[in-house]
Amino acid sequence: MAEEILHVEHVSKHFAGVVALEDVSLTVYKGETLCLVGENGSGKSTMIKLISGVYTPDQGDIYINSHHYKKLTPIESMREGVQVIYQDFSLFPNLTVSENLALNEQLSSGKQLVNWKGFNQIAAKGLAEINVSIPLDAVVGTLSTADRQLIAITKAILAKASIIIMDEPTTALTQKEVHSLFTIINSLKNKGISTLFVSHKLNEVVEIADRTVIFRNGKKVMDQDAKGLDVKTMEYQMTGRIVDTSKIQHGKVDEKAEALLKVEKLSLKHGFFDVCFELKPNEVLGITGLLGSGRTELALAMFGELPANSGKIYINGKEVKIKSIKDAVNYGIGYVPEDRIREGLFLDQSITNNIVVRIIDQLINIMRLLNIKYKNSISEKWISQLGVKTASSQLPAKSLSGGNQQRLVLAKWLAGNSKILILNGPTVGVDVGSKAEIHELIRSLAKEGMGILLISDDIPELMQTCNRILLMRHGKIAAEFKREKISEDQLNKELAFNSSMKMPLKE
Amino acid sequence: MNSIFRKTRLKEGISSRLGKFHIGSQTLLLLGIFVILVAFFGIFEESFLTIRSITSMGFQLPEIGVLSLAMMVTILIGGINLSVNATANLAAVMAGSFLVKFLPQAADSNLITLYIVGAILIAILVGLITGVINGFLVGYIGAPPILATLATLTFFTGISAGFTGGRTVTGFPDQFQLIGSKTLLGIPIPFLIFVAVTIIVYIVLDHTTFGFKARMLGSNETASKFSGIDNKDVIMKVYILSGIVASISGILIMSRTMSAAYEYGTSTYVLLTILVAVLAGVESGFGNVINVFITVLILQILSTGPHMLLAGVRGSSFFKDFSWGILLIMIFVINYYARGKKARE
Amino acid sequence: MLNKIVKSNEFITFLILVVLSLAIGLKTPAFFSLATVFDVLRSSVVYSIMAFGLLLIVISGGIDISFAAIAAVAAYATHNFLISRGYDGGILPYYLIACSIGLLAGLLNGFIISQFNLPVFNVSLATMTMWYGFSLFFLGPLIKMNLPKGARDYSTNFITQVQDPFVGRAGLHVSILYVIIIGLFIWWLLKYTTLGRGIFAMGGNREVAVRSGFNIKGITLIIFGILGVLSAIAGITQSLFLRIFNPALFIGQSLDVLAAVILGGAAITGGRGSVIGTFMGVILIQLINRSMILTGIPVEWQKFVVGIILIFFISIPGIRDLRKQKSSHTTELAEE
Repeated sequence: MAEEILHVEHVSKHFAGVVALEDVSLTVYKGETLCLVGENGSGKSTMIKLISGVYTPDQGDIYINSHHYKKLTPIESMREGVQVIYQDFSLFPNLTVSENLALNEQLSSGKQLVNWKGFNQIAAKGLAEINVSIPLDAVVGTLSTADRQLIAITKAILAKASIIIMDEPTTALTQKEVHSLFTIINSLKNKGISTLFVSHKLNEVVEIADRTVIFRNGKKVMDQDAKGLDVKTMEYQMTGRIVDTSKIQHGKVDEKAEALLKVEKLSLKHGFFDVCFELKPNEVLGITGLLGSGRTELALAMFGELPANSGKIYINGKEVKIKSIKDAVNYGIGYVPEDRIREGLFLDQSITNNIVVRIIDQLINIMRLLNIKYKNSISEKWISQLGVKTASSQLPAKSLSGGNQQRLVLAKWLAGNSKILILNGPTVGVDVGSKAEIHELIRSLAKEGMGILLISDDIPELMQTCNRILLMRHGKIAAEFKREKISEDQLNKELAFNSSMKMPLKE
Repeated sequence: MNSIFRKTRLKEGISSRLGKFHIGSQTLLLLGIFVILVAFFGIFEESFLTIRSITSMGFQLPEIGVLSLAMMVTILIGGINLSVNATANLAAVMAGSFLVKFLPQAADSNLITLYIVGAILIAILVGLITGVINGFLVGYIGAPPILATLATLTFFTGISAGFTGGRTVTGFPDQFQLIGSKTLLGIPIPFLIFVAVTIIVYIVLDHTTFGFKARMLGSNETASKFSGIDNKDVIMKVYILSGIVASISGILIMSRTMSAAYEYGTSTYVLLTILVAVLAGVESGFGNVINVFITVLILQILSTGPHMLLAGVRGSSFFKDFSWGILLIMIFVINYYARGKKARE
Repeated sequence: MLNKIVKSNEFITFLILVVLSLAIGLKTPAFFSLATVFDVLRSSVVYSIMAFGLLLIVISGGIDISFAAIAAVAAYATHNFLISRGYDGGILPYYLIACSIGLLAGLLNGFIISQFNLPVFNVSLATMTMWYGFSLFFLGPLIKMNLPKGARDYSTNFITQVQDPFVGRAGLHVSILYVIIIGLFIWWLLKYTTLGRGIFAMGGNREVAVRSGFNIKGITLIIFGILGVLSAIAGITQSLFLRIFNPALFIGQSLDVLAAVILGGAAITGGRGSVIGTFMGVILIQLINRSMILTGIPVEWQKFVVGIILIFFISIPGIRDLRKQKSSHTTELAEE
C-alpha cells in the first residue's frame, strides 16, 4: 500500500453564500502524479489554496504526513513539504539563478551573512537533481518562461518538497518545453516527490497523469487511475453533459460574398510568413496552433500592435495599411484579449466607462462636450443586450465575475460597431455556464453579419463556434479545415502533430 | 509609466437624495477639515475672519492653486510634472523681458494694455512649448515622467537663468499690477483667475472626451492602448495643458511681485503642489478638481492661521510647513484606518 | 564576466565620465592634476554620503526626498545644542549627536511607511515638509555660525597636501575617508548580508519577497535608519565646511542626489544599483559643474547644460526601446 502523503477528508468551503467546495475528500500518495481537472469555478483552485494553507476549510480535516490539521497555515503547509508554484514562480527577476535558488535556505537558517560560494553550491546541487543546466549567474528576468519554471521546480525540490503543486503550468510553454517538463515530473517520481498537476488541457493530462481527479461544481465526481481514462470521458465528467453538437445552429456563410477581411502573403519578421486567408461576413474563422506557431503574432498584426512587415491587407475589398492599433480600430476591427485584466479592462473604472471607451469621441453634444446622458444610455443598452450581470453600471469593472468581465470587453467593441472581431482565447478563466453562453453569443454575432477571428487552442470551443479552422505551425498556415468535414479527435491529432513527421492530412 | 502614487483616497462616498450629485468621501473629509480649521482660527484669532485677512489670503494662494492644477492633470494620467514651477518662471521671464524690452517709453494707456496682452500670450506660448517638450519625452520617447520632468526642470530653469543672466526682471508698467494686486467687487482678481482656471480645468477633465481618455489612460495604460486610445497623443495634450496652466501661474506671480526671476519658489513650490495633489486624493485615473481647490484653501488657512496666532514669534511664517507635513501624515493614517481591514488585505 | 560589466548601466556612466574628463582636459590641461582630483573629491563628499544612503531606498523600490531635510535638522540642532553649551573641543560629539537625531528621524520615516504600508515618496514628502518647516520655525532661516576652534579646524584637516602650479596648495581632505568607509560598508551590506539581498528582493518583486519570508518591516526600518544616520553625517560635514546654515539649500539637494543615484545606474523602479555606480554619478555631476566653469560657460547657463545632458541621458533607453521590436516573439521556427 503506497504511503499517503496528503489526505483531505470531507472538506467544505464557501464564500459569501457561494459554495466553492462541498464535502470533498482527496488523497495523494507518495511519488505519484495526480492531475486535478475541472472547469473554471469547479473548485480546484480552492482546493489548492486549502492544501497550501491560504484558506481554512469550513468543515473537514487535513492530514499531511499523518499530521492532523484543522486550521492549516501557509508556513505549516510549507514545513510539511507542500510547495506551490505560483504564476510568477516566486522568483526575483533582478537576482541570479544561484541566488533565487539559495535564498530559501538562507532565510530559514536565519543566517545574516551571505556566502556566495555556498549559494552556488546549493544552486548547482539543486539543478543537478533534475538534470538541468542553466548558468548560475544568469539573471532570472532574462530567462525564458520555461527556464524560469524549471528554476521554480528546483526551488521546490531544494525546499524538501514532498508535494509540488503546479497550477496550469503549460500555458506559456511550447510543445518541446512541455515535453521537457513532463520528463522532469517523471523524474520527480523517482525521488519520491508527488506532483499535483492542475490543468484543463486534457490531452496533456492523459499523457502525464498516474491518477486523475475531476471536480465539477465544487464536488469530486471522479477519482481513478488515469489508465484507460480518455478525453471524451473526462470532458463529460467535467461539464456534466454531452454537448449535443448536432443541436448547435451554425450560421451559413455566403461563399460569394465579398470578404470582410482579406490577407495576402502577410509576413512579420520572427512571427509568421506568407499568411493568406479570407474572412467573410457571417463567418467565424478559427486560428489555432500550439504556442510558438505564430497565431498570437498574427492576431496582434491584424490589430496593429505588431504591424506586419510585408504583404497586403484588404478590408471590404479596399487595400488598407494597419500600422497601429488606432488604424485597426478605425477600420472597424476589435480585439478581445486573452489577458483581459491587463489589456482589455479598466478594473477600477465604472462599467459604463469600460463600455464607452472605444466610442467616447462620438458621445458629444452640440457644444463638443461629453453627453453624459447619452453615455449612460448606451451603457445600459449594452449591459442588457449582452447580459452583463451587475447591480449598477457605476460599479467598477472589477466587481464583475470572469464571464461578465468578458462580456464587458465584448460590449466595448460592439458599441463601437466593429465589423471584424479578433477574439484571443475568449473563454480562458471563464466558468462553464458563461462559456457556453459566450459561444452562443459568438455564433449570433456572426449571424448578424460580423466576421470573427477566433484564436484558441480549445478544440471543443473551435468545433462549437467556427465555420472554418486554420492550423498554424512554425509561423505558417499548415492546414485549413471546414468544421463539418473534420472531427474533434482528428483536430486534436493535427494540433499535436510534430512537423518532423510526414505532411498532415490536407482537407 | 509607473505611477509613484498608490491609492491614498477614500472610496465610498455619499449620494445626495437627488441621486444625481455624488459627493465623494474624500471631498467630505476635506470639507470637514476646512470647516474645523476656519472655526478654530476664527475663534482663537480675532483678526482671522476679517475682510482684510481673507482678502490678503486670496492674493497669495492663487499662484499655488493654479500651479497645483498644472501638477494635478499630470498625476491624473499616472505621471508627474516636476517642471511646473520652472515653466511658470520661464514664462514669466520671457513675458517680462518682452514687456520691458519692447514697450516704448512714452506709450499711452491703450498701447500698454496691448503690450500686456502680448506678454500674456507669450507666457502662454512658452507654457505650450514646455508642454510639448515634456509630452514628447514622456509620451513618445517613453522616459519615466519623474526623470523627464526632473531633467526639463533643470533645463527650463537653465534657460531662465541664462536668459536673464541671473538677474531679476523688473520695470513693468503699473497697469500690470491690475492682475495680481487689485480686487473686483472686493474679491482679489488673482483669486477670480484661480476660480476661472479651476472651472476650465474641471470642464476639460470631466466634460470632454479628452478628459475621459486621460482618466482611462491613467487607470490602465495598456488597456487604453488596446481600446484604440492614442496614448501618445493624450499624454502630449496633458503635458501641454499642464504647461499652459503653469504659465498662467507665472503670470500671477509676475503680477503680484512685479518681477520675474528664474528661481522664484524653486523646489518648495513644486513639492507643495505634489502635497496638494496627494492630500486631495489625486491618483492615476481618479482626481477631483474640487478636492484640489478645497485642499489649496486648507493649506492657505494652515499657513496664515498659525502665522497670525503666533504673530511675533520668530519664524512663525514657517510653521505652516511643519503643520502641512503633520496634516499629510494624519490624512494618510486616517485613510488607512478608514479603509478598514478588508480593503487592506 | 567582462561581458557583463560592459553591458551594465554603470559602464555607460563610466564612459561618460572618461569622455567628459578628456574633453575638459583637452581644453584646460590644468585639469589633469592631483589638485583637481583632490578638489573634486572634496566637493563630492557630502553628496556621496547621502547618495549611499539613498541608494538603499532606491534599490528597495522607493524614492525618498526627505533625507536632505533630515540632514539640515540634525546639523543645525547639533550646532545649536553644542554652541549653547559652550563646547569647544573635537568634532566627535558633533557627529554623535547629529547621528542620533538623524537615526530617530530616519526611523520615524521607516515606521510610518512600514506600519501603514504607505508609498515611500508620499511619506517622505510629508516628513520633508515637516522637517523643513520645523527647522525654519524653531531654528530660523539663515545663520552664520561662529564655530568653536575645534570645529573650525576641521575644514582644513587634510590627509595630505600637494603643491599645484596653478592652484597653489590643495589638500585631500580627511572627510574622504568617511566616503570610503561608508561606501565600503554599504557595499558590504548590499552584497554580503541577508539584509542587503532582502533590499534587492524588495525592489525586484515585493510580493515574492514577502512570500519568501523576508522581514519587510524590519528591512524598511533599518534602511531608513541608515539613511537618517548618513544624512546626519553629511549634514554635519557640510556645516563644518561651509559654516553657514541655510535650510533652503537642502531642498534642491534631494533632487540632485537622486539624479546622481540614477545617473549612477540604479533603476528608478528598484532592484538594481551599486555603490561604485552611485559614486560615479556624484563625480559626474561635480565634473559637469566644473567643466562648465573651466570651459567658460557663465554660471547662469550651467543649469541649462546640465538639463540638456539629463534630457539626453534619460532619452537613451527610450530610444533604444523604440528601435527594438516590441514584445517577445515566441514563434518556434521550423528546424532546418
